[in-house]
Amino acid sequence: MSVRLSAIPGLPPLLACFGLLALWEMAARVAGIAGLPPAHAALSELPAILSDPEALLNILHSIRRMSIGFVLALAIAVPLGLAMGRSRIVAAFFNPLLMMIYPVPKAALMPIIMLWLGIGDAPKTLVIFLGVSLPIIYHAYQGARAVEEKILWSAAAMGMTPRWQLLRIVLPAALPEIFVGVRTGLVLALITMVTSEMIARQAGVGNILFNSLDMAQYDAVYATILIIAALGFGLDLAIERLRSWLLAWAEPVYQIAVGTA
Amino acid sequence: MTRRRACEVLVGVLPIALILGLWHGLATSGMAPPSLLPAPRAVFSRLVEQFANPAYLQHAAITLFRLFAGFAIAVGIGVTGGVVATGSAAFGALLRPVVRVLAPVPKVALYPALILVLGFEHASKIALVAADAVFPILLATYQGTSAVEPKLVWSALAAGASRRNALFNVVLPAALPSVLTGCRIGLVISCIVVFLAEMITSTNGLGHLLIYAARSFETVDMFVPLITISLLGLVLNASFNALQRWLLLGFPQEASR
Repeated sequence: MSVRLSAIPGLPPLLACFGLLALWEMAARVAGIAGLPPAHAALSELPAILSDPEALLNILHSIRRMSIGFVLALAIAVPLGLAMGRSRIVAAFFNPLLMMIYPVPKAALMPIIMLWLGIGDAPKTLVIFLGVSLPIIYHAYQGARAVEEKILWSAAAMGMTPRWQLLRIVLPAALPEIFVGVRTGLVLALITMVTSEMIARQAGVGNILFNSLDMAQYDAVYATILIIAALGFGLDLAIERLRSWLLAWAEPVYQIAVGTA
Repeated sequence: MTRRRACEVLVGVLPIALILGLWHGLATSGMAPPSLLPAPRAVFSRLVEQFANPAYLQHAAITLFRLFAGFAIAVGIGVTGGVVATGSAAFGALLRPVVRVLAPVPKVALYPALILVLGFEHASKIALVAADAVFPILLATYQGTSAVEPKLVWSALAAGASRRNALFNVVLPAALPSVLTGCRIGLVISCIVVFLAEMITSTNGLGHLLIYAARSFETVDMFVPLITISLLGLVLNASFNALQRWLLLGFPQEASR
């Protein structure tokens, strides 16, 4: 019975959600402190937030900034990673620099970048771009490096130019690896988005979160956390769907997220 | 071969030198006022000065304490959870969907809730670090332990080892490379998260120093904690690599990547 239940796609995560909510409800009842309202209180606050046009606009702006940063990162990081994977010189040029940037907390650059670019969308988008680029570069590099040399030799023997080789052979061959990077990058984009808004505090989801905290609207705090959590899970699911649709031919790559905010 | 290696190192130093040169040029030519971009020499001499300052080291020590406390909790929960999920099918079936739901959630969003429940002091920051670092360690341990050659376990069981014994004395050591990779990723994540948590709300630690400097427009002092935490990340990563190489002596080469 349990085997058949878990075979239904989407059911185990759904059950896990209900289980976590029930656990939260129980913990809140047992603890009985104002800072941890029961799950049903936070859930009943959700419609109020989602129907408030200002809150909705804030959330949409956050998503817009994240998408712009993400697409820019994709446009630059994938070619760079592929070039690094195919040329020793390019790899030697960029590797030490990337290694140095890797442990810098990107969202912590916010105050400095805000000095230069003001407090608008630009610093937040830039920080998201920086955070997302690194894992995508890393995975595109690993993917391009692992391409079978013989395939490239055959292509060259048949008269394919290097540019076409990169586009028709290296890119598709590296695509499964690139998707690992994209998935990590997505989680990072969300983290950086929320953190940058928590640090700059004038717009976005992170700002709603801390405003409710300051005004002691604890139900709203938890409802906003639920919205962000749902966003993270939903986007991750979408990337996974896209991957299995584009890469039905490849074996699924299970890999741990190599990434940092 | 060594000449080629030297060439590559030289090529790699080039962009870093270029950036430092550009920074120096912008700052000293007066195109960027020092209040926006201090000269690199000012930043690095301040960094050296601060490393001899006991008050600064105190802040760094607080940050390090939170980092290691959170990381230790994450390693404890992650490794135990991963091993038990491999050992017991029921627990694995329970854990997998929960991780599937929780892993893509940006954990910083939980920070306000952690503040409300655990207070503004150490506990909420340590909890956030642990929450962020636990998932890579858990996933790496689970993947590592479930990929262990079953014949090894069967041999141990046939030789009279109990299931628990086989799990901790055969499966866990065999999965060590994967576990250590997860731990290294968790360590760098801890380093970053502790800094961010201190930036969002704190009265001490390196992250607080950055925000404090930003509020009083002390640009030089904004760069110093940022460079410190990045150096800390590099040093921790390098020392973990050394530890990993030592622990994995005798493992096949590609395992210790």
